Amino acid sequence: MPEPELTPTKSATEGRSGVDSVVPGDIALSDAAGAEIYGEEKGAGHLQAPPGASKLVTLLWMLPGALWLLIFLVAPVIVVLVVSFFTGTITGFKEVFTTSNYSAIFSGSSTYLSTLGTVARNSAIVTAVCLVIGYPVAYFLAVKVKKTQYAFGLFLIALAPFFTSTLIRAEAWIPTMSINGAVNSILKDIGIIHHPLGILLFSNFAVIVALVQLLVLFMVTPIFFQLAALDRSAIEAARDLGASGFRVFMNVTLPLTRGGIMIGCVFVFVLSMGDFATYKLVGGGSVGSIGLNIQNLVSLLNYPQAAAQAAILVVAMAIGVVLLLRFAKLQEQV
Amino acid sequence: MASNDQIAETTAAPESAAQTPAGNGGEEAAHGSGLELRQVTKHFSEVVAVDNVSLHIDNGEYVVLLGPSGCGKTTILRMIGGHEHPTGGDVLLDGKSLVGVPPAKRPTTTVFQHFALFPHRSVLGNVEFGLRMQGIDKQQRRKRAMEMIELVGLSEMRFRKPSELSGGQQQRVALARVLVTQPKLLLLDEPFGDLDRLLQLRMRVELRELQRELGIAFVHVTHNQEEALSMADRIVVMEGGHIQQVGTPAEISQRPSNVFVAAFMGDNNILQGEVAEVSNGRTVVNADVGQVAMATGESSLSVGDQVTVAVRANCVRLTAGDEKRQATNELACTVTATEYLGDTIKVHMRAGEHALLAKLPEDRYTELVGLAGKTATASWNDGDVQLLRA
Amino acid sequence: MSQQLRDRLSKVGLGVWFAAFLVFLYGPVLVMLVLSLQSERGGSGFPAVGVPSGYWYNYLTGPNSSAIRSAVGVSLVLALIVGVIGGALALSLIMAYRRMGRRGGTVLLYLVLLALMTPGILLGLGMILWWKLLGLSPSLYPAGLGVHVVWALPFGFLVMLSIFNRYDVAVEEAARDLGASVMQTFTRVTLPIIWGGVFGAALFAFTLSWNEFERTLLVSTTNTLPLEIYGELTSAALQPNLYALGVITTFGTILLVFLMLIAVALIVRRTARTQAAAFQTEEEAITVAEQARVAPALEGA
Repeated sequence: MPEPELTPTKSATEGRSGVDSVVPGDIALSDAAGAEIYGEEKGAGHLQAPPGASKLVTLLWMLPGALWLLIFLVAPVIVVLVVSFFTGTITGFKEVFTTSNYSAIFSGSSTYLSTLGTVARNSAIVTAVCLVIGYPVAYFLAVKVKKTQYAFGLFLIALAPFFTSTLIRAEAWIPTMSINGAVNSILKDIGIIHHPLGILLFSNFAVIVALVQLLVLFMVTPIFFQLAALDRSAIEAARDLGASGFRVFMNVTLPLTRGGIMIGCVFVFVLSMGDFATYKLVGGGSVGSIGLNIQNLVSLLNYPQAAAQAAILVVAMAIGVVLLLRFAKLQEQV
Repeated sequence: MASNDQIAETTAAPESAAQTPAGNGGEEAAHGSGLELRQVTKHFSEVVAVDNVSLHIDNGEYVVLLGPSGCGKTTILRMIGGHEHPTGGDVLLDGKSLVGVPPAKRPTTTVFQHFALFPHRSVLGNVEFGLRMQGIDKQQRRKRAMEMIELVGLSEMRFRKPSELSGGQQQRVALARVLVTQPKLLLLDEPFGDLDRLLQLRMRVELRELQRELGIAFVHVTHNQEEALSMADRIVVMEGGHIQQVGTPAEISQRPSNVFVAAFMGDNNILQGEVAEVSNGRTVVNADVGQVAMATGESSLSVGDQVTVAVRANCVRLTAGDEKRQATNELACTVTATEYLGDTIKVHMRAGEHALLAKLPEDRYTELVGLAGKTATASWNDGDVQLLRA
Repeated sequence: MSQQLRDRLSKVGLGVWFAAFLVFLYGPVLVMLVLSLQSERGGSGFPAVGVPSGYWYNYLTGPNSSAIRSAVGVSLVLALIVGVIGGALALSLIMAYRRMGRRGGTVLLYLVLLALMTPGILLGLGMILWWKLLGLSPSLYPAGLGVHVVWALPFGFLVMLSIFNRYDVAVEEAARDLGASVMQTFTRVTLPIIWGGVFGAALFAFTLSWNEFERTLLVSTTNTLPLEIYGELTSAALQPNLYALGVITTFGTILLVFLMLIAVALIVRRTARTQAAAFQTEEEAITVAEQARVAPALEGA
């Protein structure tokens, strides 16, 4: 049944949208709107500010944490950049400005750039694979599992390994992938291979697989939360309008979760660029990484060189992140 | 508890400040009694939430601030309670400025929108909290808290946590928690927002009775017109940070002063047109639906003025057929729908392209339902036409 | 209909994908579990010998494992301290964050993200260089402790953020209204309501410190448990005792994480339920209760 037009005169309701003169008096505004009043008037902040918020109290709360982060995070990162311009000595460094640490990196004899290239390529592959593996997982949990409590239960089961030791997770790949490891013995038992595969451990392939396993939850988590927060009625509306499942996904779901995808990609990329334990344990000695380089240089007391390599790593990570974001922007325009 | 029915009405003599419940020490001298807002303004960065509002509230008065979401009513309440500081102007209670006084030091307390009960404390713990903060010894505060819990009828639930109470019970705890501190002024922020309709209706009566008993002023914020009309001594209608109209429920309802109030209060037919004729005590307007005549005493209107008028839906009469008997205040229209509301019937009509609304007694139900889709004549008296400010 | 069939198929397909994902996540640990249950003759690979046997778990209590046991002691003490400091700092930072405007809050948030994203090896390097510049020699305390807390803090902060996102600040206003001072409001209202979150943040910090490796490697001169394991993995021949150790650490950690999530879930639920009871319809109450269950999981975001 069509709703009768309630507006008595045009002018009376001009600029008064939502309030109609002949609307029954008691329901002109919904309760929900009323509940939001305070929030609207207050203007948006991060969280609702507590009462009696004086500047001094804020400062006192801020001080311990800020000092801690300053001493143990900001200062070390800055010191790395500073020391990368110091001159190396046998026992460490002296505070004499030089750019030789960087020129050593860019000289032809250095393997640093090729190592960096490998690590960057690996990181890009790891990021892509994490997305391909992780998105369907997040989608399944957030969209296909109908009961919220089941979805979150399963999500937590998937999340739990993240909090275990990266070292032990790397260690666990050794009995899994080695010549006499689980995968090789299973493949042999069911007759797919006759000789164990050596590529499964101490190889670049092994490093990529292990990094994916280590970092994939950084991809799943933000996508999952974005999907879970997604208004399912938007998807259902698209369905009602006759769009196929695939088209709904491409045109509605995927664009709406771009933010989560971007956060996931940045996390996975950055963390795999700086990885140390996986390259060391799963890669054996066969694959170089910047983390390994830095550790070696530190053990040789060549701190300025280590600092320069770390600084370039950070720059490379920043470039990677910018490229990722740029790519996302381009997608947005298409 | 002092029972002061006689001061519930708006007769505010300066002495009435002394009528606040005993126990506050009475150290405050009573000059300029009641609550006074003087040109109060509040900005949130660039947004002006409250713009130059002045208002006086007498002791013992029940005032409802009514308006749509974002109109500034909650901000005013929060400034009275001290949870927000005015950008400009002054808030005075019994002649003393409250600006800069923290909420803890004000003789006002607030019942918050979702009650804001302490989830980790029992009913008793919640009610005792304010007394404990005042440093009242344990025996004394337990006694007073229990009295108050008794008053709201929750004695048997005193050890329950808020999560184990129903919405109505939570509301009672919220009331007991603030009343036990014997405030001079009680502020209520959408107090019924979380209750179902039947409970709301009951709580309206209970709250009003309680207020009469206590004899203190209540300032109540709501967006619900019906709630405001049923409870207030005076209603303050707000929109866009401004007061639109202040008046008794009857005044607001019967004589809305401007287009916003007429539209917001609902059940008004708002018509626009040009003044065609001004003769002694009577003005005829050529409205877009037809000729409308209204009684105007000393009219400042002259022929050719653009005016907006309102006709309340329950002043509209309706007869079947379309015989036109008079030149003004009578329209031929088509009935589009009828709504049965229990005690009344709403009839939606259409005159040309304009919708009209009539509210008629329920005994005409059968007749009116039969009118759907048919033509009818709507009419009203000159005296029912109200001139609105733009 | 065919649409329904396709929906079912996609659900089943994605379910299989998810199951395979869990195998991928947990498989290696399970392999480690199987090999750790070998008898004395068992080696580092397959075929597994003499399963099940508790030999390699007992081995950890024997004389050959004294280095491991002392490393466990070092890690335990460190993790406890990191837990306490991490929980306390997460609390104080969120209290500050709640009071900050948009700009200040964003700066703080970026600082927290920096703590999360800085590669561990780089932070370790920066720490020893910074200490050298100050004329100090790096050690587990305070340098190691410092970087551990930096690693744990972002997670604690996010836990607290998820709690305060669903927190009704009117409770504090009510306390102020009833005469409580700023301090009393904190100790008598805010803290009792959110202590579960602080506890959760502390537990997270404990777990992350217990398992931390890359940040400690360059800084510490004392072996924490991960450093000890790393040393044994890279020097001696691999024996199932390290698998046993890995299994204990992994499942212990998972248990702790679930305990922590339950603590946070309970607290969020309690605060949310006060409102749930007051909602007009059952449907609304259910939505709120569901959101309460959702909130604690935010920590991984």
